[in-house]
Amino acid sequence: MEKKDSYWSERYKELKDQNHRQNTDFDAWAEGTLKPWNQKTGYQEREFTNSSNIPIKEIYSSKDIPEDTEKRLLGLPGKFPFTRGIYPNMYRGRLWTMRMFSGFGTPEDTNKRLKYLIKHGESGLSIAFDMPTLYGFDCDNPRSDGEIGKCGVNVSSLKDMEVIFNGIDLSKVSTSMTINAPAAILTAMYIAIGKKQGVPLDQLAGTVQADILKEYIAQKEWIYPPEAHLRLIRDMMVYCTENTPKWNYISISGYHIREAGSSAVQELAFTLADGFYYVEMGKKAGLDVDEFAPRLSFFFNSSINFFEEIAKLRAARRIWARVLMEKYGAKKDRTLLLRFHTQTSGYTLTWQQPLNNVIRTTIEALAAVLGGTQSLHTNSYDEAWALPSEEAVKIALRTQQIIAEETGVIDTADPLGGSYYVEWLTNRMEEEAFRYFDQIERMGGILEAVKAGYIQKEIAATSYRRQIRLEEGKEIMVGVNKHVEEGEQPLNILRISKKAQKNQLERLSEVKSRRDEVKVSQALEELEAAMREEDENTMPYILKAVEAYATLEEISNVGRKVFGSWKEPVIV
Amino acid sequence: MIPLRLDELIQGIIKGDRRSVSRAISIVENEQVSFNAKKIVKEIYQYTGRAHIVGITGPPGIGKSTMIGNLSAMLSDIGRKVSVVAIDASSPFTGGSLLGNRIRMQESLTRHGIFMRSLANRGLKGGLSRSIWDTVKILDASGSDIIIVETVGAGQADLDVVNLAETVLMVLGPGLGDEIQAIKAGIMEIGSLFVINKMDLPGAFIAQKDIEETLAMSPRGEWKPPVVGVNSLTREGYEDLIKEIDRHGKFVKKSSDLSFRKFRTELEITIDEELRSRFHQEIMGFLTDSEKIRSLMEKRTDPYSAAESLINSIA
Amino acid sequence: MEAGKNQSLFKGKPIKILLAKPGIDGHDRGILVLAKAFRDAGMEVIYVGLLPTPEEVVDTAVNEDVDAIALSLLNGAHMTVFKKVADLMKSRGVNDIAVIGGGTIPEADKPKLEKMGISGNYGPGTPISTIIEHITSRAAEMRKLKAMEE
Repeated sequence: MEKKDSYWSERYKELKDQNHRQNTDFDAWAEGTLKPWNQKTGYQEREFTNSSNIPIKEIYSSKDIPEDTEKRLLGLPGKFPFTRGIYPNMYRGRLWTMRMFSGFGTPEDTNKRLKYLIKHGESGLSIAFDMPTLYGFDCDNPRSDGEIGKCGVNVSSLKDMEVIFNGIDLSKVSTSMTINAPAAILTAMYIAIGKKQGVPLDQLAGTVQADILKEYIAQKEWIYPPEAHLRLIRDMMVYCTENTPKWNYISISGYHIREAGSSAVQELAFTLADGFYYVEMGKKAGLDVDEFAPRLSFFFNSSINFFEEIAKLRAARRIWARVLMEKYGAKKDRTLLLRFHTQTSGYTLTWQQPLNNVIRTTIEALAAVLGGTQSLHTNSYDEAWALPSEEAVKIALRTQQIIAEETGVIDTADPLGGSYYVEWLTNRMEEEAFRYFDQIERMGGILEAVKAGYIQKEIAATSYRRQIRLEEGKEIMVGVNKHVEEGEQPLNILRISKKAQKNQLERLSEVKSRRDEVKVSQALEELEAAMREEDENTMPYILKAVEAYATLEEISNVGRKVFGSWKEPVIV
Repeated sequence: MIPLRLDELIQGIIKGDRRSVSRAISIVENEQVSFNAKKIVKEIYQYTGRAHIVGITGPPGIGKSTMIGNLSAMLSDIGRKVSVVAIDASSPFTGGSLLGNRIRMQESLTRHGIFMRSLANRGLKGGLSRSIWDTVKILDASGSDIIIVETVGAGQADLDVVNLAETVLMVLGPGLGDEIQAIKAGIMEIGSLFVINKMDLPGAFIAQKDIEETLAMSPRGEWKPPVVGVNSLTREGYEDLIKEIDRHGKFVKKSSDLSFRKFRTELEITIDEELRSRFHQEIMGFLTDSEKIRSLMEKRTDPYSAAESLINSIA
Repeated sequence: MEAGKNQSLFKGKPIKILLAKPGIDGHDRGILVLAKAFRDAGMEVIYVGLLPTPEEVVDTAVNEDVDAIALSLLNGAHMTVFKKVADLMKSRGVNDIAVIGGGTIPEADKPKLEKMGISGNYGPGTPISTIIEHITSRAAEMRKLKAMEE
């Protein structure tokens, strides 16, 4: 038996001791002042808890946080452990990137939308793909019928990507692509376009999500068993570390974990646990942690419990810096920085009284900014119902601009630092995260825990509990279970024209009729051979297949043949 | 259209009509045996006895579902008509149940046109044993060559599977460690075949050797249970597994001793159920009489005396 | 069970329901919550999970002799995929299994789905009790159709 690594359990015990000390001042006040008051006013005592099921007290004071909080747990911005932010001058020096997710219908539609956003001052492109693309099916697969362009843009071959980026200079933009299972293929397509535009590879900037662990945990968009996907991601990590230094190859995502119904602490813990796995994977592949870990970025959710979200983001930075230094031996400051993108919660939006969503999104966006995000997507108020309309997208972008330019919250770094409540909550979130790290370790690591369905079950249980609380009126959604307006009609929505499917089918059949079939089948055969050799890097072979106009599904099918398909464990 | 007359439904079963079969199973899996349920079983009984009934049991998470998906697909490819019955546990609190074990085999079942049915183990209310036996009879009469019955280690259901199956596959795997040691004593008599799944993983080989050793030491009759290692990803070992299943099937059909035991158990279960259901009304009436319960609470009587007085009043 | 008047129809045999997401769609938060809620309401729930084909859905529903199929999609493909399920049911002559829809379904699509025989079509935020009530009444209709002569 391998000796159990006690890092996680020791840290957890430390945090537990740190956070659960007696506060005699509070106890005296509660007994002498609070209790008589509650009795006098007839206040019915009840428990207040946040999404992470952490009970909240009436008031917090200096006694609830360690005496050396400032020195040991906070530091200053740009200084270890980065609780207060990763840059010394934070938003004065660099505002967060306002990145709006787009991509729907045809590549032509997406190209138009990207150009519209660039014109309105958006500073980074972000592309969503439709379901067939995310699962590695071409538009002409019978399973894709009715799904083309519905939740994003359809890409069946390099030709589609050429249309999406037509007239957009890749050396001038940074592009974030929300793609996981087929991430290596889409990265190869982006590289191929860069090459066609004559942009040097080291100028290509952007991110692919490629966080496959959270797919098994939450979003459930996979093709192969976990080990196979992880191997392909390893290949991409190694290739991109050597060739495309501005390409962030993994965006470790808590967003979907949260949207799948988890609590804030589950989002924090499972996301960072995924992150640690990728660090271990990179080290195992022979990469230097100070070389590749700075390329890992994160993607968090910002939901509606204001202080809980801020505490979560602050805790995330501190945990990452600590663990990277203490456990994974990172030496450079740059490696310790947890950089993240945030998106406001889709889960909290309602189709009822849709304009209320503007308010929700504003509060959530503010939490993300106060939590120190590096980039932000604000949801459009009609997003609960469909892909957003142009008008709604504009309001969402304006929300960010108002926060940045009118409110003054950017004037100073970490304005909530030192608040007894926020510091105590940050510490508690950190502690609960370590409780999960310890449990995950005991289950044999995150991969085993996911394969056994443990993480998924934890999330499903939280999500069910929340639903029951909503039904019982213990949690409120305005317009849904309180302050309801009768006879409301759902919104007008943006409809994806049926042309999208036809358009894609036509282009794909044209691509297939024009390409050199010999080159295609040769590239695919070489890719298969590479996939069968565990130590071979598949990335150059994928690039070659893409450039020969092999389709997304053809390339994915090589993997299906070599690795098989995945069926999830029973989690209900 | 699905037949609404009983005689048509019975004809449908014998002809192997899928919807008649599935409706008939719904009728027999009722908590209480109904007139229609009995009629169905009575009418089809003469058509049963042809199928080979294979039970599959083993600890949860060992890969039984994937194994059944593979096994039934391969049997179907060599021309056998396969049916699958899976037994799942209910929530003891609400009586409802969540049956999720299809996920890992559904695709393969549909592709091969294999009939599969889930039976919910509805807790303590009874009826499960008889439902399983009757379900298997319906599938047998409908022309199945092989009926695979899976259980998820749910107490009574496990016992039922062992009783009614002619061949019992005990599925084990690597990494069970102490668990294997603990259950070994109990399961060694049950399995007619031992399958070690996940042969690609470290520890599987050790598990296989471990079982073989234990079997070698335990006293056995004519049949020496083989230990087969399989890999469900690559389907390695499955051909051997099928061979061994067939070999055991032939062995059982020859052994009148085993058959005799099986039919005796079946009769016993049927009598139990028949007694329970015949006096259901009286029992329920007795149990819902709060005065009776109160006299127990107040120690004016004891459970045995109360039960005796009920039975005497019926008889 | 919610509807007391249907008690006798479900006596000794709880409502049996199949839950599926038949399109290319991994958003399973809602359907997992419903699976648990239906179970806790005493139903027998067959969960076939993500990505079953419409053929697999209908095949399972028939084999399991369920009272109802609950379909969920949040990817906008309901008009194509739900229709495939309805068409398959029709071509196999299955008229005694209710099909109930849910997901992000625009108001304008609801009458069209109803016409295919797909009822409910609930959006996110619908109280679970409303959905259970609807299932119970549809299942009761189906039980009447299935009733055999004694």
